[in-house]
Amino acid sequence: MINKLFATVRKETLLLLRDKVGLSILFIMPVVLILVMTLIQDSAFKSINEKGIPIIFINNDKDSLGNAIENGLRNNDLCSFSDSINGKPATIETAHKAIGEGKFLLGIVIPNGATAAIRKNVTVLVEETINGESTAVEKLNQLQDSVEIIIMIDPVAKKSFISSVTSNLHEFISEIKTKIMFQTFADQIAEVIPDKNNTPNNSYQKTQIITYKEVYASNSQDKIVPNAVQHNVPAWTIFAMFFIAIPLSGSIIKEKTEGSVFRLHTMPTPYLLLVNGKIIVYVLVCLIQFLLMLAVGQYLLPMLGLPALVLGNSLMGIFILALATSFAATGYGVMVGTLASTEHQAAIMGSLSILLLSALGGIWVPSYVMPELMRNISAYSPLNWSLEGFYKLFLRGGGIKDIAWDALKLFLFFFVSMAISYLSNHKKRTI
Amino acid sequence: MSSQVIIEIEKLTKTFKNCNEPAVNDISFCINQNEIFGLLGPNGAGKTTTISILCGLFPPSGGKVLIDGKNLNNQLAAIKPIIGIVPQDIALYPTLSARENLEFYGHMYGLNGKHLKQSIDEWLEKLGLQDAGKRQVSTYSGGMKRRVNLIAGILHKPKILFLDEPTVGVDVQSRNVIIDHLKDINKEGTTIIYTSHHMEEAEHFCTRVSIIDHGKILTQGTPAQLIQNNPGCVNLEHVFLHLTNRKLRD
Repeated sequence: MINKLFATVRKETLLLLRDKVGLSILFIMPVVLILVMTLIQDSAFKSINEKGIPIIFINNDKDSLGNAIENGLRNNDLCSFSDSINGKPATIETAHKAIGEGKFLLGIVIPNGATAAIRKNVTVLVEETINGESTAVEKLNQLQDSVEIIIMIDPVAKKSFISSVTSNLHEFISEIKTKIMFQTFADQIAEVIPDKNNTPNNSYQKTQIITYKEVYASNSQDKIVPNAVQHNVPAWTIFAMFFIAIPLSGSIIKEKTEGSVFRLHTMPTPYLLLVNGKIIVYVLVCLIQFLLMLAVGQYLLPMLGLPALVLGNSLMGIFILALATSFAATGYGVMVGTLASTEHQAAIMGSLSILLLSALGGIWVPSYVMPELMRNISAYSPLNWSLEGFYKLFLRGGGIKDIAWDALKLFLFFFVSMAISYLSNHKKRTI
Repeated sequence: MSSQVIIEIEKLTKTFKNCNEPAVNDISFCINQNEIFGLLGPNGAGKTTTISILCGLFPPSGGKVLIDGKNLNNQLAAIKPIIGIVPQDIALYPTLSARENLEFYGHMYGLNGKHLKQSIDEWLEKLGLQDAGKRQVSTYSGGMKRRVNLIAGILHKPKILFLDEPTVGVDVQSRNVIIDHLKDINKEGTTIIYTSHHMEEAEHFCTRVSIIDHGKILTQGTPAQLIQNNPGCVNLEHVFLHLTNRKLRD
């Protein structure tokens, strides 16, 4: 029996080595995919970082608020600041037109008298508080609404990106407004209470009451920094490993159409032994693919100016998960090859289903940004199990215990795929 | 069962799913040891279905088949090692060489080592393929492919050999070589069950033939007997056309 298995493995290896298209799908495509996707994501991030977000600023206020925001934007690395278009000072109309043409991503208009309005609000508040009027706060709220800062947005810009930028802008503008309000408030109080000992000072401006520190909740001893490489290398490696279903199912279909399967079924060799030969070869190919992708992440990407892939703490965990993914991908390929009747059918069925499973699995878009329904469906994609497992190892610094359930699910997926293939093959032969 | 009978078929029926008409309809016949038995019939007559059932490719819908005394329904594993098949289509891996194909199929029949190598060398030489043995099959002519296809089915010296149109699409030279070697194999003790559309070839090659149409056996006997039993027929082709008529078949 072992001789038969070796013969099957040898035959599969020779067939694969002589299938140039299949080999390019297995090895060149994933390398290109990782390079392209990582470089695109990294450079998109870098270009915004380096050049800054193009902003057109119209300061009609020419007072504290407008000037403070202008200074803030001018000195911010995230922004590429402009206040003129074609050498002429920008107006609301010209800014609107320029943003519509895609020359700027954002436009900010500080209205005339904005600072004066804030000062007036605070003056009213102080006076009415001291005079004991109960409607002071209500009045203040009404008056505050009268200062309207316009933020114009390029309609082509992605909503998620704009939300994050505008939210930062809102925060920045609010901070400056608050400072002006406090300054005005302090001045007003000083006028009402001439005792210099009791005059409020501006220490709030120098003290940051709440500070923020971002810490990644990783167990890794290495300093794992989430970046395009840490996300993309495992994601596209898994995608490529599952793409093995195309050449594998193609090889199964070829055996059917070329008549070999007719002869094989009449031979004293069990179906499972013949399939096992394929599984051994393709699992090994998947593991080689995986090693190649890790090598790309660790050695090739840094040569292109990208950060190197950090593997985390558990090499054994990586091996177990890679092996489980390889079996799942191979089992899936056998299933597609058994269920499909023609090579064309297998190619379409294989590629579309993998695209679908990868989209659902969070390869293209992280599953945490998906709507709840899709997130629930995502949990059933084997690519998601694998990806989650690798994220645990590569980003959270997890170990074997953390990925055990993901690996088990992948092995179970393999057994289910094989059972379906066996039953389908049996059913087809009992026509 | 007579000691000479190697295949015994009784009321064999096969109806495929979604088909109203049975492909093989209640046929019964026996094949004796060392015979060259021809199963002849027009397209769609049920020849390939019968051979496929006898090879264990799919189960019959009804009836009983004994091969070398073993029941096909429950002793298939014991039957498989003693049969060989040369299918109608070229059942080879085109990107493997003839030698690699034969090594693989030889292993699947349980052959190994020197014995397998010797057997491959011997057959490649016999069928004039010794020089082309290392070339990929995809580069072969139709005749060369047919010859390798034949070797793959006989490498393990089967007791029973099923030949489904083994000479279709080959030139006269290749056909003669194939037929000559099949006769040699038969002399060495292999029973041959053969289907073909070449009536002249069947007439000279087979020791006994059965003409089948619409899944039923129309007649059976030695080619000479059939010609004799059908007045006005001078050869097997005349008998064939007389029994199956000249209407075109799908």
